[in-house]
Amino acid sequence: MATETTLIEIGVLFAAAASAGVLANRLGQSVIPLYILFGMVLNEYVLGTAPVPEFLTPVVGETFPYLAETDFIYLGAELGIVFLLFFLGLEFNLERLLETRNRIGKAGSIDLALNFGVGLVLGWFFFGDLLAAFILAGIVYISSSAIITKSLIDLGWIANDEADAMLGTLVYEDLFIAIYLAVVSALVLGGGNVGDAIGQIGAAMAFIVGLLVLVYFGSEWFQQLLETDSFEFLVLRTLGVLVLVSGAALSLGVSEAVAAFFVGMAFSSTDHVHDLEQLLAPLRDTFAAVFFFWIGLLTDPSVFGGVAGMIVIAALLTTPAKLVSGYLGGRIYDLDERRSIRVGLGMVTRGEFSLIIASTVIAVTSSGSGGAIGTGVVDTIYAFSVGYVLLMSILGTTLMQYSDRVEAALVPRLERVAGTEKQPGN
Amino acid sequence: MTIYESDLPGVGKKYEVELEGGERLVIVTHNTGKREVYLKADADADSDKLFELPDRMARKVGTILEGAYFQPVKTNRVETMLTDETFIEWYGVPADSDLVGQAIADAKIRERTGVSIIAIQRGSEVITPPTPETVLEAEDTVVVVGEREDCIEFEQLLGNGGRE
Repeated sequence: MATETTLIEIGVLFAAAASAGVLANRLGQSVIPLYILFGMVLNEYVLGTAPVPEFLTPVVGETFPYLAETDFIYLGAELGIVFLLFFLGLEFNLERLLETRNRIGKAGSIDLALNFGVGLVLGWFFFGDLLAAFILAGIVYISSSAIITKSLIDLGWIANDEADAMLGTLVYEDLFIAIYLAVVSALVLGGGNVGDAIGQIGAAMAFIVGLLVLVYFGSEWFQQLLETDSFEFLVLRTLGVLVLVSGAALSLGVSEAVAAFFVGMAFSSTDHVHDLEQLLAPLRDTFAAVFFFWIGLLTDPSVFGGVAGMIVIAALLTTPAKLVSGYLGGRIYDLDERRSIRVGLGMVTRGEFSLIIASTVIAVTSSGSGGAIGTGVVDTIYAFSVGYVLLMSILGTTLMQYSDRVEAALVPRLERVAGTEKQPGN
Repeated sequence: MTIYESDLPGVGKKYEVELEGGERLVIVTHNTGKREVYLKADADADSDKLFELPDRMARKVGTILEGAYFQPVKTNRVETMLTDETFIEWYGVPADSDLVGQAIADAKIRERTGVSIIAIQRGSEVITPPTPETVLEAEDTVVVVGEREDCIEFEQLLGNGGRE
C-alpha cells in the first residue's frame, strides 16, 4: 500500500467516477457496478499491466501510470462505509418499524430464512467451513438499499404499492446487517478459539448496548448539540460525533459501520433529520463513490477466473431464492401476483452491503493476528463478492426494467396455480 | 376524500389522494424536497408520472392551488340555491349606497324587498345573525336569503338608493 497520494491521482479518481455516472445514465443502469468497473480498469492489474505502445514509451515509460490504492483512497472508502451506514441509521425509525412490525417482521423473516439459509448451504458447500459459510450467507442475503431505491424512483414504482413491501423488507435487512456486521467481525477477529470469539462478541455487544443507551438517553443532548443557525457548524458537529465514534469503535475492534448506524439512529430522533439528510447526502454520495471505486482498485480481474463457477452457481440459486421470498413478502403486504413478482425482481439486486461485509472481513483479517480463516479463503470470498455484486446489481436493475415481460410470463401461471388451489373448495 | 399517508424509508413520504371516479393522485415528497406527482387510474393500477417539482416551486404551485393568489369565487355577487325558488346571495355594499349608515330595521329592508339579512361580513369579522339595530357600513358584504325577485329588488335597493 503506497502512502503518497498526489492531487492529480484524486483528480483522476473523481473524473473517472464522474464518467462512470455519465455512462450509467446513458445505459440506464445503476452507477454502482460502473464505479467498480472503472476502478478496476485504472488499477495496477489492468492499466498497470497493459502493454504500452512503442510510440508512447518516451512519454509514459514502460507502464501506464495506474491508480494505486493509497491510504487516502482507503480512508475515503472507509468514510463511504461510515456515511452509508449513518444514513441507514438516520432514516431508521424504530416507531415506524414497530407500527408495521407484523408485515415487516413476517416478510423480513421469510427473506432472512430463505436467503441466509441458501447462503449458508452454499458457503458450506464451497468452503466446508462454518465461519466462511456464515460470511457468504450475509453477502448473498443482503439486497442493495441504494440501487433498489434508485430504481424504484427511476421506474416510478415508488408511487405504487410494491414500494412499501420492498422498502419494508429492506428496513428489516438493514437492522439485521448492523448486528450481523458486529458479530461477523468479532468472529473473524476471535480466531478459531471459541472463547476468544465469545469474548469479542461480548465486547462488540457491550459497545452496541453502550451506544443504544446513548441513543436512548442522549437524544436531548444530541438535539442541543445540533442547535445552530449555521449549516456549516451543523455539518461539522455531526461529522465530529460520527467520525469520532466510528473511529473509536474501529480502534476497539468493533465495526465502524455498526457504530455509524447507531450514531445515525441517535440523530434520527432530533429535529434536524431533514437538514442532515439534505446537507450530508452529497457527502455520502461522494464517499460512497470512492468506496465502490476503491473496491474496483483492489480487484484483479484475473481472480474472477477462479471464482466464476462459484459466482454462477450462487447466482443460479440466490436469484430464485430472492424471487420466491420477495413474492411471498409481496403477498404478506396483500399485493396481487403482478406486484408481488415485482418485489421479488427488485430484491434480486445486491450491492453495497455485500461489499461492506467483504471489505470488513478483509480489514479485520489483515488488522488482526491471523484471524479465524485463512487469507486464501478471505481473498476468495472477496473476489467472489465483487464478481457477484457486479452480476447481481446489473441483473436486478435489468429485471426491474423488463419486469413487464417477466410478469406476462409468470402471472397467468401463478393465477392458474392459485385457481386450482381454490377449486377443491367449490 | 380520503388521503392515505405512508412512509418510504430512505426516500420520503407518500400521500395518496382519492379522487372522484376512483382515480388516485399520488404525491411523493422526497427527503431532498423534490415532489413527484403521479396519477393512478384506480387503486390497483400502475402510477403514471405527471410531473416533478423542486421544493421551492412545489410550494409556490401549492399556494396557487390553495387559492392564495386568486379566488375564483371573489365576485360581488355569489348565489347559492336553497330550493328552486329560494336563494342565498352575497352582496357588497357600495360606499355611495343610501343604505350606508342605516340600521336594518330603519331601512325596512324586509318590508321593501322581501329578503332577510342573515349575516354581515365586515373586514375579518362576521356578524351573524345581525339584529334589527345593526347599522350597515360601506364595504360590508351582506348575505341575504330570499326569492329571486326579492334578491333582485334588494340589489337595486343597494345600488340605486331610495329610488324605486
